[in-house]
Amino acid sequence: MIEQALANPWIRQLANAALLLAVINLGVLVLIYMERKVAGFIQSRLGPVHVGPRGWLQSVADALKLILKEDIIPAPADRFLFVLAPFFVFVPVLAVFLVLPFNAGWVAHDFSLAALYVIAAGTVAIMGIVMAGWGTNNKYSLLGGLRSAAQLVSYEIPVVLAILAVVFYAQSMSLVDIAEAQRGFGWFIFHPPLLVAAFVYMIGQLAETNRTPFDLPEAESELVSGFHTEYSGIRFAMFFLAEFANTFFAAALAVVLFFGGWDGLPGLTGALWLVAKSYVLVFVLMWIRWTLPRVRVDQLLGFAWKVLVPIGLIVVLWAAASVVYAGGAKP
Amino acid sequence: MNPVRSLLGGLWKIFGGMGLTLRNFFRRKATIRYPYERRPVSPRYRGMFYLKWNEEKQRLNCVGCTLCAQACPTNVISMNKVGKGTTAGVDEFTMDLGRCMFCNLCVEACPFDAIYMGDQYEFAVTHKEGSVLRIADLAQGGPENYRRNLETLRRLQEEAEKSKAAGDKPTERRAAEEGA
Amino acid sequence: MNGDLRDLHQEILDLGTQGMVMNMGPQHPSTHGVLRLILTLDGEEVMACEPVIGYLHRGLEKMAERRPYRHFLPFTDRLDYVCSLANNLACAQAIERLAGIEVPDRAQWIRVALMELNRIASHLLFLGTFGTDLGATTMLLYAFREREEALALLEAITGARLTYNWIRVGGLPDDMPENWDKGVLAFCDLLESRVGEYDRLLTDNPIFRRRTEGVGVIPAEDAIAYGLTGPTLRASGVEYDVRRWAPYEKYAEIDFDVVVLRDGDTFARYLARRLELEQSVRILRQVFDRMPEGPIASKVGKVLKAPPGIAFSQVESPRGELSFTMVSDGSPNPQRVHIRAPSFANLTVLADLVVGNKVADVVAILGSIDIVLGEVDR
Repeated sequence: MIEQALANPWIRQLANAALLLAVINLGVLVLIYMERKVAGFIQSRLGPVHVGPRGWLQSVADALKLILKEDIIPAPADRFLFVLAPFFVFVPVLAVFLVLPFNAGWVAHDFSLAALYVIAAGTVAIMGIVMAGWGTNNKYSLLGGLRSAAQLVSYEIPVVLAILAVVFYAQSMSLVDIAEAQRGFGWFIFHPPLLVAAFVYMIGQLAETNRTPFDLPEAESELVSGFHTEYSGIRFAMFFLAEFANTFFAAALAVVLFFGGWDGLPGLTGALWLVAKSYVLVFVLMWIRWTLPRVRVDQLLGFAWKVLVPIGLIVVLWAAASVVYAGGAKP
Repeated sequence: MNPVRSLLGGLWKIFGGMGLTLRNFFRRKATIRYPYERRPVSPRYRGMFYLKWNEEKQRLNCVGCTLCAQACPTNVISMNKVGKGTTAGVDEFTMDLGRCMFCNLCVEACPFDAIYMGDQYEFAVTHKEGSVLRIADLAQGGPENYRRNLETLRRLQEEAEKSKAAGDKPTERRAAEEGA
Repeated sequence: MNGDLRDLHQEILDLGTQGMVMNMGPQHPSTHGVLRLILTLDGEEVMACEPVIGYLHRGLEKMAERRPYRHFLPFTDRLDYVCSLANNLACAQAIERLAGIEVPDRAQWIRVALMELNRIASHLLFLGTFGTDLGATTMLLYAFREREEALALLEAITGARLTYNWIRVGGLPDDMPENWDKGVLAFCDLLESRVGEYDRLLTDNPIFRRRTEGVGVIPAEDAIAYGLTGPTLRASGVEYDVRRWAPYEKYAEIDFDVVVLRDGDTFARYLARRLELEQSVRILRQVFDRMPEGPIASKVGKVLKAPPGIAFSQVESPRGELSFTMVSDGSPNPQRVHIRAPSFANLTVLADLVVGNKVADVVAILGSIDIVLGEVDR
């Protein structure tokens, strides 16, 4: 019966999506706990300790609290945009997970333009943030929305360039093919041009995921909470969820692009390797977040256009040259 | 090559900072699990007030001289004095902690070692009235000692009246010695 | 400041576009209390800034007139609550000068130690909050980790952690507890080993440098004209420190450097405070060697009355020159008290300083001036 149902492509995709949603939500709960513990440990604190042993249930308690909270829509807000914005931020994040290969064959939907799709779908979230910034009718939010529009559009480009360099090496835009091309510790990170590309990608993703030093859209000390200042309860939870899911996706994509995907020592299943590597990268992102101060908006854009984009262009040329002349890519 | 060098130099400095935070990640933590663990407070800590209980004489040291009330900049203290001279004491002593600055002036003003500040520091209350402390809350050892203080004072007064009626001077002298 | 930019903004205004008025505060994470800034923004750029103060006004100067001299001392804790001992000292000195009361040597030395310990605690708070203003939240916790040790020492001697009220007219209420001096010296060593961490985390950080260097420059002449004092003034290259120019207590006998920097920008104001930490440690190390035995308070009558007259006292608080002017008419209460609060004078420069800068710089500049609203509003 179930097998029959799963034979239907629609039902199959729905089941995949539901499974992904559950995995993402659980993963985010772990990530939130991890973020608070990492922040605490770096800052010479203990982090959450009260709820559950060693504070394990803190994220669950937080999630419950957010769900049970009263849903407040500010009177002067543009109701339509205000209500719609969290979905615009949350849904693209779910959508990009569809093409992420967890293991050989463990991918909800693989197609030949996956790398392009990831970039395109991720960009939709910017609209949600701008909508939230405008729709709440709060000046801090508006500034946050404006900042995020400028920031995300700028940092999209270095990320695209970095991914492009990888695509040259893998000769495919399918994430599955990219991961397959790195089998047996042929990780792309070991190729000099792609090492630089990985740097560019990670810095770009720091900005894309709104994390310090590039957390200007929500810059707490300046804009209170930026674009989600007026959001509370379940709507805020969606922003929060999206942010952490995004962080995890950025790390997982980096693993697929540069760190061999599910490639690892035999003994463990590939998906575990992928997740483990992603968590290491997430830890690095958190580590950066709790170490560095925030940049200013003009410095942020200057850095993107004057430093990252030129480096990205050089990397693309370099990667292309090494693929063509040095035979850096697999046949 | 200057921009490249400055970029790499900046990266190096950033790695330095990240090395520092990583070291702190593994260091012993500065915080404690507060409600379960507590930091010892200094012996001079200025926490919750108490009126000192004199076990030997079975009474509070306070004689109701109001020096503390006069020393208080914010009129926190009010009291009711009973008896006089050597049998003096208080049957009511109220402190409105809502006004208190915990400035220690009352403790310094007291010549009888009667009022002190202890090491209790958690006195949040849910009602404004809760921050008004009566003598029963303030007496060292709790309400039990407040009752015993009243009994002692009553006994002392009765004795004083009796001896006054009898014109018995020595008793009064003995009481004076005790009071000192 | 930034005249060209202002003209440009005027041109834009003439075109008919409007600036966006944004209320920053009184409830805002980075206004350090209840300061309200009415900012007129052109995008991210500040076109005008109008600070609004008074949300914490309690009329402390008036309250002083209604109380005997000694009763006002605990109230001074609530002026600049980050370094309440400096306020205690300034007030007590004014009363002592008014009533002609001498302070024993030992009390004066302990007062110096208390001042510097409190200065360290205050500057550590500044380092932490300034880091947070710029997004480096970890700095706050590191600074508080050391500040906690300083507060524990202050708690050991005064019994309180914030509103100490431990300086009395004529001396101190009690002597140092046993081994307190050893604790302070151990803390000095600890702090010296930890300031390197602040440098690695913040001072050397290229992002931090870019956020602060060249931002909000106050030229020396402007700094004097605005009446700035303290590290904010010394960062602009003016060597003025009450401890050096009008020494009080035992500061004349102590060897220390006045930290003077040239640039006058936000980074210089940060660095001035960071470097003062080391000078305070230097002072603390000298205090205990030279402290004589003896009484810690001189006899003062139960009812404190001062002959008619006027007295003035200056103290270098962590924020600048704090002075009390006290007038007596011979009664047990002062007739008039005036408090010159350094934060209030320092805050005046903000409105002109931020024009033409970004919103993010407003936070950085305000943080670098290091105000305490309790003192601004009094």
